[in-house]
Amino acid sequence: MHRYLCFPAILAGFLMAVGCYAATDQQPTLTTEDDLGPQVQQPIEFPHYRHAGNRNTVDLTNSDPTKGGMEINCQYCHTYARRSLTAGIPPLQKCVGCHQNIPSVRDKPRIVELFKYWDAKKAIPWKKVHDLPDFVRFNHERHIKRFIEQQGRPVQEVCGYCHGQVKEMTTARRQKPITMGWCVSCHMKEHVVVVANKDGIPEGGTPLGKQAYWYTFQKPAETKNAAGELTAKGPNDCWLCHK
Amino acid sequence: MIDSDSVKNLAGHPFDRRDFLKVLGWGGAAAALSGCGNTSIEDGKETVVSYVEAKDYVIPGVAVYFNSTCAQCDAGCSITGKIREGRVLKLEGNPESPINKGKLCGLGQAAVQHHYNPDRVREPLLRKGDKGEAISWEKAYALINEKLAGVKGEEIALLSGDVSGHQKVLLGNYMDSLGSKNHFVYEAVSPAVVRAANLKFYGVEMPRYRIDKAKVVLSFGADFLGTWVSPVHFAQQYAAFRKGVDGQRGVLIQAESKMTLTGANADRWLAVRPGTEGILALGIINALGVSTGDVAELVKDYDKARVSRDTGVEPSNIDKIAALLKLRSPSLVLAGGAAEGYVHGMQNAAAINLLNQVLGNVGKTIEAPVSVPFPQMAPSKGRTAALKDLNDGLAAGKYKVLFNVATNPVFTAPASYKFRDNMAKAGFKVAFAHYLDETALQADLVLPLDSEMEDWGTHVPEYLADTVQINIQQPLMERLHANTRGMGDILLALVKQRRAEEYKAFDDYYGYLRSAVLQNKAALGGAGSDDDTFWNDTLSNGIVKLSGASGALSLKVDVSGLKLPAPKEIDEQYPMNLIPAVTSNLRDGRHTNQPWIQESPDPLTTIVWDSWVEMHPKMALQLGIVEGDIVKVTSKTGSVSAQVYLFPGIYPDAVSIPIGRGHDAMGRYAKGYGVNPFEIMDAVFESATGELAMHETRVNITKTGQRVIVVKDEGPAGGRQMGRKIAARVSTDQVDLSKEV
Amino acid sequence: MSVTNLLDNWAAVRHFHPIDDKPHDPYKWAMAIDLDACIGCNACAVACYAENNLPVVGREKFKHGQVMHWMRIERYWEEDGRDFPDQGFQFLPMMCQQCEAAPCETVCPVGATNHTQDGLNSQIYNRCIGSRYCSANCPFKVRYFNWYDYPTTENVWPAEMNYQLNPDVTVRGKGVMEKCTFCVQRLRAAEVTAKGEGRIVREGEVQTACQQSCPTGAISFGNLVDPESRVHKQWQAQQVDLDKDAQEKNQKEGGTDLRGYRILEELRSYPSVMYLERVRESAV
Repeated sequence: MHRYLCFPAILAGFLMAVGCYAATDQQPTLTTEDDLGPQVQQPIEFPHYRHAGNRNTVDLTNSDPTKGGMEINCQYCHTYARRSLTAGIPPLQKCVGCHQNIPSVRDKPRIVELFKYWDAKKAIPWKKVHDLPDFVRFNHERHIKRFIEQQGRPVQEVCGYCHGQVKEMTTARRQKPITMGWCVSCHMKEHVVVVANKDGIPEGGTPLGKQAYWYTFQKPAETKNAAGELTAKGPNDCWLCHK
Repeated sequence: MIDSDSVKNLAGHPFDRRDFLKVLGWGGAAAALSGCGNTSIEDGKETVVSYVEAKDYVIPGVAVYFNSTCAQCDAGCSITGKIREGRVLKLEGNPESPINKGKLCGLGQAAVQHHYNPDRVREPLLRKGDKGEAISWEKAYALINEKLAGVKGEEIALLSGDVSGHQKVLLGNYMDSLGSKNHFVYEAVSPAVVRAANLKFYGVEMPRYRIDKAKVVLSFGADFLGTWVSPVHFAQQYAAFRKGVDGQRGVLIQAESKMTLTGANADRWLAVRPGTEGILALGIINALGVSTGDVAELVKDYDKARVSRDTGVEPSNIDKIAALLKLRSPSLVLAGGAAEGYVHGMQNAAAINLLNQVLGNVGKTIEAPVSVPFPQMAPSKGRTAALKDLNDGLAAGKYKVLFNVATNPVFTAPASYKFRDNMAKAGFKVAFAHYLDETALQADLVLPLDSEMEDWGTHVPEYLADTVQINIQQPLMERLHANTRGMGDILLALVKQRRAEEYKAFDDYYGYLRSAVLQNKAALGGAGSDDDTFWNDTLSNGIVKLSGASGALSLKVDVSGLKLPAPKEIDEQYPMNLIPAVTSNLRDGRHTNQPWIQESPDPLTTIVWDSWVEMHPKMALQLGIVEGDIVKVTSKTGSVSAQVYLFPGIYPDAVSIPIGRGHDAMGRYAKGYGVNPFEIMDAVFESATGELAMHETRVNITKTGQRVIVVKDEGPAGGRQMGRKIAARVSTDQVDLSKEV
Repeated sequence: MSVTNLLDNWAAVRHFHPIDDKPHDPYKWAMAIDLDACIGCNACAVACYAENNLPVVGREKFKHGQVMHWMRIERYWEEDGRDFPDQGFQFLPMMCQQCEAAPCETVCPVGATNHTQDGLNSQIYNRCIGSRYCSANCPFKVRYFNWYDYPTTENVWPAEMNYQLNPDVTVRGKGVMEKCTFCVQRLRAAEVTAKGEGRIVREGEVQTACQQSCPTGAISFGNLVDPESRVHKQWQAQQVDLDKDAQEKNQKEGGTDLRGYRILEELRSYPSVMYLERVRESAV
């Protein structure tokens, strides 16, 4: 870290600590316009709402219900996220794979642009919307496993925790602060965990480690919420993200 | 490992493969390259580079692994490269290889720094006065063709290092097409004398040494853990040897004049007067007292008192060793660099081999090698005598065209050869090079080579473990510089100039290799599988393993010619022996420009980034020298000046300077660090083989009055033993190893 | 270790291990190094450079003791009046011992180095302010300080050389302390994979870079609380206990015929690395 950053870093750390402490067991504060990221100009103005938006409910300029969103699963295109730390960007092949079979929109300017890249076999230089400092390693795969695969929550809801309502956007814009304090505020909340079997061990857990799921500080401690579900906090080991 | 289906897709279509191997931009996988530098969040500033088309198994952020072969030395370790976003990041050993079984030495790991080296040659360069002018490959090939016109076959010479596999075949064909038989295979550091002695004694150059089966290993300067033949393989054997046969831990005794890494691991290290290794071997045979006939006759004069006087080894130690060798069988006796580097090197090696025979080790710990079914692919091993022959030819003006394949004789020839001057006598000199090293700088045309991580190839190691193995080399990433070429591709292009018809079916070396391998599919164990499957499996494995026939050694004991000279008288003018040390990091100096190699401490002295003159503390005391003194080491040939390091692991009459540093070209990490002992090495040759006798140089030492701080890892002078107690030690009678996990 | 933990009860946190109110479950990463197998070849040290983005500092900075090798090979020989080291050398690979009660952790003014539940001594670069107290307090001298901004220093990672950098490991900038992490990036990857599959990391599933390269297999690494792991078996066979500062086996009458020991364990830092003494033949 640069020397001149040290003091602000401590200060920020301290403020964050106080903030987090105060925020224990509270919902993260709602984001305001100030927390939004900048509007990023992309080489092609990709319409997320068209691909991921709900059928018929997307407010389209021409209000034609037949032209609603297609409710495509986020993971159909963002296929790396469930398999890797990094979400990556879908290869151009992915776009073309569908669009070569959709002649109706082939002459739209954005699609024409898309095929220009394809014909030149050139990757589209997308701009990064969610940038993290280089010493942070957020793990997409783990979050998808935990909330989508193990807990069965809806994909758009889970992705939306951090990325906001992308299905209502054209090109994405950062919706959440994505600061450490913001990350930690969620990790300090009690989250419902998967059902325990008769031995009190969560499904898939091992007898050797009752904490197979919580190898960091917070053992679930058999806490149950009002609905009687077993809950636990997220891990809070610095070395999980900073290494 | 990726599954075979993916490999199939990948390898079947070289074009796709290249697409995959292309370097993905930083942003594509959140690659952290500036660390704490980038603490701010800069949404929308960075571009994320993505793929146009991607294979299913290519996931940004997840590594893909490919098998290939290490080319840092010629031991033939198989490697597995870790590739992320199209960049090779790290090399590991391939667990499937019987040679290195998943392990890799530091030198092998540093190969990535060779690949990414900023000082690699990037364009074909044509000499224009003192400068090199970048030209195109077409022009370079045309130029070679033009210069070869009208030149007779015997006027063309080619110098290369160890070569095997299809590259050797192609090289042979090219030389054949030129009508030349002048292919000189040269390695500056090679056990050529031991090979010759083995051939005479066992009928093979390199038998299989089974350190893991031996209960006692007595090594005469063979640094099998550091530099000798196949160090990673022997290190694994050594580990088994230490664990012991039937719970009895193996005992290692090392006899040499200057301690090597292997010597540092010995239970008993014997400081031997330089050149008397053979006498010690005969003395031990005498002390064993079991010989009859010729052998008994031969050793009868080598009684303890005489041997002790000649070699400087205590009589009690000779007794102890003989007793131990008698008690624990089988044992194994090895002859290495320290024994062979003299005029009578062959005699030393023969005496040592005889000791093996007397101990009954042949057939027990020395086995016949497995024979390679494709003799045309078997390795040609380098000899120093080859350089001598080439040099003589060059001096006589015999050669008009000289090709040099990535060797550096200007650096590794003794100064008395005057190789640089003789090389100038060849009319047209082509260097295939990775760096602009000392030799490439003398060339008229420098052609840049791919690194081992960009090139295709096959290699057959000289020292094979249990089975015959043909190692596959394949690109681990896209070519880093657009204008480098693989040696195979270059040879193919050159041979096409002569025999276009014969090679017209092959677009590139990849195509040649694939069809050559598939032609022998059945012999390579692929009978029954279709071409694509077999080829893809081969690439996926990185090794073709074949069961080879392994007969018995045809032992030929003939002691009639065995005659060892008495130790040399002290030469008043040059009283010290110079021992040019081969270290495990630096070898012959071709890797000096890899910074990890420069910065990893020499295992024995812990010195980094510089050369040193190793001297026994007692001798230094006599001469009034302390650590860090700059001394001038003068031989009949010349002199060099370097810092002194006091080191007790050396015979007091000897000084040692490591080989490999002292480059005055090559690159930013090599140039200007240390001195080159070849500059003062006398041109003395082993009498039977004509190999350079590297240990025969005698020198004197004079103080220059300057003193420096020795840059080393162990801390300041005299402080090295501060923490001795932390490295605890116990003797065998105090522990029971059989109980251990 | 979170900020709340720090604020809540610093003392409790720092004495967390190896006090047994919270046993290691399910992981305690530990190592065993057989000094009899170690040949001092430096393969581990180079592997560490490759895996962990260690900068090559060059001759001048090396001279000033600013080398950054997280893993170094120390070597010793007997100097009791002998002319020659005739029983060879003793090589000892030295890196962060991942102490359970680490002296470095207690002195960090900002909590940049602290203990993880799986028994590692973590070093958080973005939290570090470079006070170097930890280094001063480390009995093994295995912490290395970035005196320079190596990423921008000439010839440390010139163009193309930076392609080799491991994206899973942060490249440290100026003013930050660093040290061996037991290849935490590999551990976390294995732990997270195992967690996703509802199991613990199996023996052999994860290797440190040094262990993977070691030609003689002198280094073993694994989960000390897993009875199936080689490390567990070795520690047990050698009767070395993690939470003792003086091993019982050493206090028995007539000494011991076991080789296992920990360096400077009398300082009560409870290191996680056990060494096995080098053996020398008594017959020669």
